[in-house]
Amino acid sequence: MNGLTFHRKIEENTGLLIFGILFVSAIGGLVQLLPVLTQESLETASANTRPYTAVELTGRDIYMRENCVVCHSQQIRPLIAEVERYGPYSRAGEFVYDRPFMWGSKRTGPDLHRIGGKYSDDWHRLHLLDPRAVVPNSIMPAYPWLAERDAIETGNITNKLTVLRRLGHPYTDEQIANAEADLEGLTEMDALIVYLQMLGTGFSEEDAGMQGGAH
Amino acid sequence: MQAVENKIYQDKIVIRLIQFSVIWAVIAISVGVYIAAELVWPTIDFGQFWLSYGRLRPVHTNGVIFGFGVSALMATGFYSVQRTSHVTLFAPRLAWFVCYAWQLIVLLGALSLLAGWNTTKEYAELEWPFDIAIAIVWICFGVVFFGTIAKRKIKPIYISNWFYGALIIVIAMLHVVNSLALPVSIDKSYSAYAGAQDAVVQWWYGHNAVGFLLTGGFLGMVYYFLPKIAGRAIWSYRLSVVAFWAFVYAYIWAGPHHLHYNAIPEWVQSLGVVMSVILLAPSWATLVNGVMTVSTAWEKLRTDPALKFIVLSLAFYGLATFEGPMMAIRSVNVVSHFTDWTIGHVHSGALGWNAMITYGTFYFLVPRLAGRELHSTRLANLHFWLAFAGTMLYIIAMWAAGVSQGLLWLSIDSIGELSFDFKDIMASMTPYYLLRLIAGLVFLLGTVLMAYNLFMTLKGQRAVKVTPPAVDPAYGVNA
Amino acid sequence: MSSNISSLTLFRSLYQPQQAFAELARAEPSSLRIFLSYSLWLLLLPPVFSLIGAANFGWRLGADQPLFMTTNTLLIISAGYFVALLFGLFSTAIISRWMAKTYGASVSLGRHMALITMVGQPLAIASAAHLFPDVLVNVLVLIPATIWGMYLLYSGIPVALETPPERGMLMASALMAWLLVAVVSLLGISMSLWVLGVGPLLGV
Repeated sequence: MNGLTFHRKIEENTGLLIFGILFVSAIGGLVQLLPVLTQESLETASANTRPYTAVELTGRDIYMRENCVVCHSQQIRPLIAEVERYGPYSRAGEFVYDRPFMWGSKRTGPDLHRIGGKYSDDWHRLHLLDPRAVVPNSIMPAYPWLAERDAIETGNITNKLTVLRRLGHPYTDEQIANAEADLEGLTEMDALIVYLQMLGTGFSEEDAGMQGGAH
Repeated sequence: MQAVENKIYQDKIVIRLIQFSVIWAVIAISVGVYIAAELVWPTIDFGQFWLSYGRLRPVHTNGVIFGFGVSALMATGFYSVQRTSHVTLFAPRLAWFVCYAWQLIVLLGALSLLAGWNTTKEYAELEWPFDIAIAIVWICFGVVFFGTIAKRKIKPIYISNWFYGALIIVIAMLHVVNSLALPVSIDKSYSAYAGAQDAVVQWWYGHNAVGFLLTGGFLGMVYYFLPKIAGRAIWSYRLSVVAFWAFVYAYIWAGPHHLHYNAIPEWVQSLGVVMSVILLAPSWATLVNGVMTVSTAWEKLRTDPALKFIVLSLAFYGLATFEGPMMAIRSVNVVSHFTDWTIGHVHSGALGWNAMITYGTFYFLVPRLAGRELHSTRLANLHFWLAFAGTMLYIIAMWAAGVSQGLLWLSIDSIGELSFDFKDIMASMTPYYLLRLIAGLVFLLGTVLMAYNLFMTLKGQRAVKVTPPAVDPAYGVNA
Repeated sequence: MSSNISSLTLFRSLYQPQQAFAELARAEPSSLRIFLSYSLWLLLLPPVFSLIGAANFGWRLGADQPLFMTTNTLLIISAGYFVALLFGLFSTAIISRWMAKTYGASVSLGRHMALITMVGQPLAIASAAHLFPDVLVNVLVLIPATIWGMYLLYSGIPVALETPPERGMLMASALMAWLLVAVVSLLGISMSLWVLGVGPLLGV
């Protein structure tokens, strides 16, 4: 029986064809995904990386809602120019509390992984309200509505923390109980700025030797 | 005889899906043109959150892929599976449910994206209620499709059906695995995976959604409609067998090339490169098969604008399937990653390949389904040149922009300091973005002309004339 | 058997393409003669223009500061550019001749060489834009030249290679696919070379 007559069997049997496609396409996925999903070093937090606080998490959810990730990456590659421009390159351990990951695929604007602490809160506020007021040639949209909405309205923060705890993020009962109070009086813009200011601060020199970026 | 044949095939649903597909094409490309304009004039969102770039972009991508693309694949899949099986659609009511439920998902999905429901996973932005709905409708799609194949009257399953079949099966697998998440509320969930692991899962999905939907699914279209329109059997059956399995096996590995130099294990990246380059072989095997099939059917070009689109779509397919593996090589990727070159690459595929093959197929199908001549062949020919010019302009503009960005970002001077400020590089992109906007407008104009042309062709629709395809005498019809 | 065609006629294809194509269809030129008297000179233009332009003004990729490279680097880049164009011309002419059988077109290599050069001629002349090495200016000048070249390709094949217009259209599209792949390869190879250290200084 040559290859083609064997193949005729497959192409005359619907079940075999379905199974064949499923089997052949699953191989690559399994070989790639299973080791990655079980690799502990990818799940181990860097020394200075901790779960997002209630305010930071809310800011991050606003970042997701406005889809900032389509123009801003959060992934500094281990290249001389990139490290010089943005700071220490990104390590896998810094992202273990990122659900989903926020690395992005496009830099219409600059990378934001180490944006935390580079500009003042006031600068961010001005920039978000009118980007061209601080960066004359900027093509970033303005986000005036963020200043008008209360951070507490962004979503049920208690539920969010509870869900994340179920996914393995080490939140204490106290953190969850105080979550709503933490957001009290803050606008969405405040929360977003808190998130931006903590970005990239989970970096630790100890990570340098760890599995992460490639050279 | 006519009455009997009318009962054989369910074609109303094909027409309806083509209509939806064309409507989505016009809407989604318009949104694309609008966000292209926002990159030139950033204030034209007028401070409205629902006009903001970040919210509109996934509407553009989802509209094109799931509105325009999937509707076209459902239409052509339903059309061809009936004819290659010599039976009517299995569970026609379920098929109608799939048709309308899918449109509802895309429409409500677009509205939810405007409202800010967004998982931010590229091409899987819709939140969990939609993910569940998509899974259900997709399985129904599979039931209709494979049900039709199961009751076929021709023994072998024709090659186009394998590609449509792979589309259904693999997309279902990718969708379910990648969308796993824990809901917080109706509009919010957190991914089951975190950080680097999430990145690998997402690009396993993202790359193969492109692979099995935008490449594989549309290859199903090629394998049925190209021989049909050309009036020739596929050039090499053996080649298509080999190409199919190699394609299904190799494609799935290539996702990590979206994560070069990112914080994922190096072996995953290397494997991604190797398999991406290997992928060129099955991709081009199909290209050769298509080109050789059409090369003897040149007289048809005189009368059929459909064939022109399909011929050109193969040229851009050749480009996109070569460019992809090339950009997966690390020394190219280090420059091209994060730049507009990626956007150009996507559009050489989406405009030059997916849209053109679909437009060609629609120009072929709609007159046959309507039982009358195409309203205007001249308009279709004009559309051909608009689509060609628009695509070329788009690609060239993004090549120039992408290469400039990549080089300027990385450029350092003799003492090792960065040569250029990011803000200046960004600002210097505006002329290219303007060129891209013009390219999009030209392409959109062509698409609108097609919508008008097809609408006029469908108006005054008459009974459908059915001509079953010739059956290879080697295979008996069981009935 | 071999009948020649004057290089002047070939150069004239820039503004009288149809006459030039028709004359080419009557000739059986030798490919070597076509190359030496016609193609070579056009191929030399872009590298020379780019060398002069880049040495005097430096490449502007959009940002304020031009990108200057050492004379040595520029010479290497220009030589590489010339070799790439040379490779592009020969490979395209040979592929075109190889395809000709499938599409029932003339198989005279000289004609293919002449036709491909005619198609590239607008681009070669438009490469004068390299004298002002600003990427945007070059893109703006080269886009119309590319469109004109594509028009020459689609309209020239049926006439010059004597095949029905429909078959010519198929052949032109097949060549388009090759040309697109060739151009993107050139981009990819350039990027790789730059990353490896030939060309502008990159921090990778």
